[in-house]
Amino acid sequence: MQGAAVPHRVVVTGLGVVTPIGTTVPQFWDGCKRAQLGISPLDGFDVGDLKILIGAQIRDFDPKTRLKHFQRDKIILHADRYSWFAAAAADEAIKQSGLQVPFKDAYRVACIVGSGAGGLQTMETCYRDLFIHKKRATHPLTLLRFIGSSAAAHVGIEFGVKGPTFATCSACSTAAHAIGIGKDYIRHGLADIAIVGASESVINYGVMRAWQAMHVLSPEGCYPFAKKRNGTVLAEGAGILVLESMAHAKSRGAKILAELCGFGMTSDSKDMVNPDIDGPSEAMRLSLEDAELAPSDIDYLNAHGTATTINDRNETNAIKHVFGKHAYNLAVSSTKSMHGHPLGAGGGIEAVACIKAMQDNWVPPTIGLDEPDADCDLDYVPNQGRAKEVTYAMSNSFAFGGLNAVLIFGPAPA
Amino acid sequence: MDDVATKIIDILKKHMKEPRDDIGLNTALTDLKIESLDLAMIVFDIEDTFGIEIPYNANEEAADFKTVGSVVDRVRALIESSGAAAAKA
Repeated sequence: MQGAAVPHRVVVTGLGVVTPIGTTVPQFWDGCKRAQLGISPLDGFDVGDLKILIGAQIRDFDPKTRLKHFQRDKIILHADRYSWFAAAAADEAIKQSGLQVPFKDAYRVACIVGSGAGGLQTMETCYRDLFIHKKRATHPLTLLRFIGSSAAAHVGIEFGVKGPTFATCSACSTAAHAIGIGKDYIRHGLADIAIVGASESVINYGVMRAWQAMHVLSPEGCYPFAKKRNGTVLAEGAGILVLESMAHAKSRGAKILAELCGFGMTSDSKDMVNPDIDGPSEAMRLSLEDAELAPSDIDYLNAHGTATTINDRNETNAIKHVFGKHAYNLAVSSTKSMHGHPLGAGGGIEAVACIKAMQDNWVPPTIGLDEPDADCDLDYVPNQGRAKEVTYAMSNSFAFGGLNAVLIFGPAPA
Repeated sequence: MDDVATKIIDILKKHMKEPRDDIGLNTALTDLKIESLDLAMIVFDIEDTFGIEIPYNANEEAADFKTVGSVVDRVRALIESSGAAAAKA
């Protein structure tokens, strides 16, 4: 990698989300403030013989309204739902950044928008058409809709990005990896601006059956760290950040929302579904080292917190391993208790939650936490968010396969 | 204009950002600002509507698709040959 003589500091100048508890950042944060539950009975498709009948679906998103002003990307309205979410979140983030589009030096802009699964809604429709309805052909845009890089490409086309443009794919760590790679590109001088994050939309009959067969979904709800937790709840959505080098942001007088000061990634290299403590711990430790911070500097930790028996206990142990006594001073919460588990998009939405927590000095809650598990004994901000000075916030993403990515956000540099 | 032509013009309009009412058999497809992906979707719709298969490769220049009239002629021929095939069978 070509290196900058002095590594650039990387700042965040734009935020965008589409979530089941709000389809813009202000709505989403208001949902967190009100401890809103985004989980409800599945809707919009025939649930047939499904045993798991709940999900965190987005119901108030109209692509024709949100994307009607798109100019350069002529087929966005024909794209898969996951690309719509990415496009809407990117649009919100870029508008907030105040960047002029098309970019002055488009080759110095990166667009790294991942997806754990790509356009699985499209695949479901395609297979139904072919195998059940015996249709003569699939829709001509089937391929362009489902490929995992189509969200990145749609966003890049609309905003005229000509630098590195691709998707990351690491299941539930997808967004965190995209954000971390964007940070490294800017840090080492390969780009001045990066549109980063991920998008996901996989709630349909076939995917629900696949998850159901894994026996990791809860039939009742998403209750991270609670004694009663019995699995996660699938969600959909997108979370996108606009990153810039500090010098670039300052030269145009941009409002800096936060510094992206740390990124750490590891792989357990052990098991597809059983995480260990070492991999997540080392990812947290590396992110602290990258940020040149001590564990005691972190005030808020947005946990991966999926509400599976094994994740929440393992994550709690890993946090204790890294933070020592300070683990008990940390505010740790899982916003998945409200917006569900949006798989690859989680790290993007949760990064936004971290930055909003810093802006407002208010930490979002873990809802549904009436009685904590004996193995989960940290301060999980149960049920209601609360005021707390947040200078540095950490966001954990731990994926199937043992793929770990951790981000640290800090205050806007003076 | 017969039923085939009317239906094809309706399909073309459906895929235009700004549909026009002055489309006739002599209108060139290039005048309708139809791009390659639009053409793929239009062919798909025409095939579905008339129950035919239009041999078409996006890598090749399609002489059959220069004007609206040439599309109508091609579709009509395909309907006739598929009808003939069905009659034989």
